[in-house]
Amino acid sequence: MYQQLSNLSDRELISRARKLKDREAEGVLLERYSHLMVAVCLPYLKKNPGTGAQTVFPQLLQRLSNGLKVQSIQKANEWVHQTIKTYFAQPEKQVPYYPSRESRDRLHTENRVEKAANNTIEKQALIAQVKTAIAKLGNDDRYLMEQFYLENKTFADLAAQKGTTVDKIRNQLKKAKSRLATQLTN
Amino acid sequence: MPNNIHNENEKLLKIFAGIRCLNKDQLPRYLEGRLTDVEKHLVEQHLVDCDLCAEALLALQQEGLMEQYPSLSTGIQQYIRDSIKPVSQVHKMEHYARKVKQRESMLIYFWLAAFVVGGGALLFGISQYSGRKPAAARTAVPVVAASVASPAPAPAAVPVDSTQLQLSHKPPALAAATNPGTPPPVVPAVKKDTVKAAPVVKKPVVDSAAKKPPVAAPKPPDSSKKAADKPKDNPETAAKPAAKDTPAAQIAKNKEKENEKKTDNDNKPKTGANAAPATSGKVDTDEYLYKAAMVYQQHGDLDEAISRYKHLSGTSNSRVSEMARYQMAVCYRSKGQMGKAKRMFKEVVRMDGTMKQAAQQALDNM
Repeated sequence: MYQQLSNLSDRELISRARKLKDREAEGVLLERYSHLMVAVCLPYLKKNPGTGAQTVFPQLLQRLSNGLKVQSIQKANEWVHQTIKTYFAQPEKQVPYYPSRESRDRLHTENRVEKAANNTIEKQALIAQVKTAIAKLGNDDRYLMEQFYLENKTFADLAAQKGTTVDKIRNQLKKAKSRLATQLTN
Repeated sequence: MPNNIHNENEKLLKIFAGIRCLNKDQLPRYLEGRLTDVEKHLVEQHLVDCDLCAEALLALQQEGLMEQYPSLSTGIQQYIRDSIKPVSQVHKMEHYARKVKQRESMLIYFWLAAFVVGGGALLFGISQYSGRKPAAARTAVPVVAASVASPAPAPAAVPVDSTQLQLSHKPPALAAATNPGTPPPVVPAVKKDTVKAAPVVKKPVVDSAAKKPPVAAPKPPDSSKKAADKPKDNPETAAKPAAKDTPAAQIAKNKEKENEKKTDNDNKPKTGANAAPATSGKVDTDEYLYKAAMVYQQHGDLDEAISRYKHLSGTSNSRVSEMARYQMAVCYRSKGQMGKAKRMFKEVVRMDGTMKQAAQQALDNM
């Protein structure tokens, strides 16, 4: 059963946990993101030596478990990230997860691409739209997008070319992609 | 060239391809640079979108945190498994137990319902059975009881009726003649009652009329009886309690029936002659039942009459069974069920009894 559940997508696990009240599905989902949670929490734990891992992680997991039952979650990674952030920012307050505008645009475009996978006509139309949207981007953004997605350059390569850090390159790519998604959605 | 264009187009769409987060294995390998080019590109494509993975990588790149990561990561996984699985197991057990209980309770309900329905059906069957059989007993018993117990004038009305019933069916001469020889319960009652009721309702006139003429002619006593019956009816209705209405009605109807019968087919003397040898209690019961059925027939309750006739048609008394069949056929005819009526008339004809002619006539008329 565990093996079968671990092969399911996030969306299926969430729906199982919500509709069927399947605790195992919930466990598999949380376990899937547990190592990332640990990694993200480590700097906070280091900053606040008073708070032990034995108290933080159970509380955090409980909060995620509660949120899973009541919140509508489109992207599990964003939900986990936001929950961790709000937990450390306001430990007493339980802020509900709500995806940002950019995130929703991205999700919408991703769904469109997924749907068009088996429909050649729609795919061609989508490709044409992406091309025009890329053409509308700024030179720098367009160059980065083409290098990264078409030339398969790594962050490190691009950072070396530009003389910046990997993190900055990543952020720039992220912004460019969000702009692209917004153009395609509207 | 077109291939290149096609590839480029496909690559454009991968900008928006959904890629999963880094798993436990990929995270340290990415940090250590131990991924293949394709895998690394996929991870970086995902990293563009995913703040969680990007932040996790950044955190693990900090000094001193990488050492804590493996132990904490395995610890939290163990914690999740421990907290989820036992609960899940317990939940499953509870669910299963609840299902089994539900099934058991449903079975109990089923058997209860089956028992109740079965019991009801049994009771109904018994009541139906006893409701049919004792119809004779119900009419016969009061006659005996009243005739034996009460010499008083008021209850004597009932026995008078019973004698009347008997007399009305049999030729009076025969009834009087068979009195001493007939089986104990009914016939002595007739004797006593006629004697005792006589002063009250001027019976002697009837009796004498009944006793004398049969030798000469069988018909006159009937007319004299009719005349005598009318005055008798009044004391009957006055004397009887409400519960004894049915016998009174029966008698009244029976008399009418008899008259009809006599006019229809002058079988009376013959049937009387046939009935003469069968003077047992069983025959009397059959005749009572036959009369009761006729009462129903006259009331217009043909279904009940038919069911009673059916019951009678199976009796050993061939005369009663023949009459019952004949009347059943009449009932069917008046109900409009001509097929059944014809079948019954044919049966009567086949029986070759006293009603053969009448049945044949009826068949011809249909």
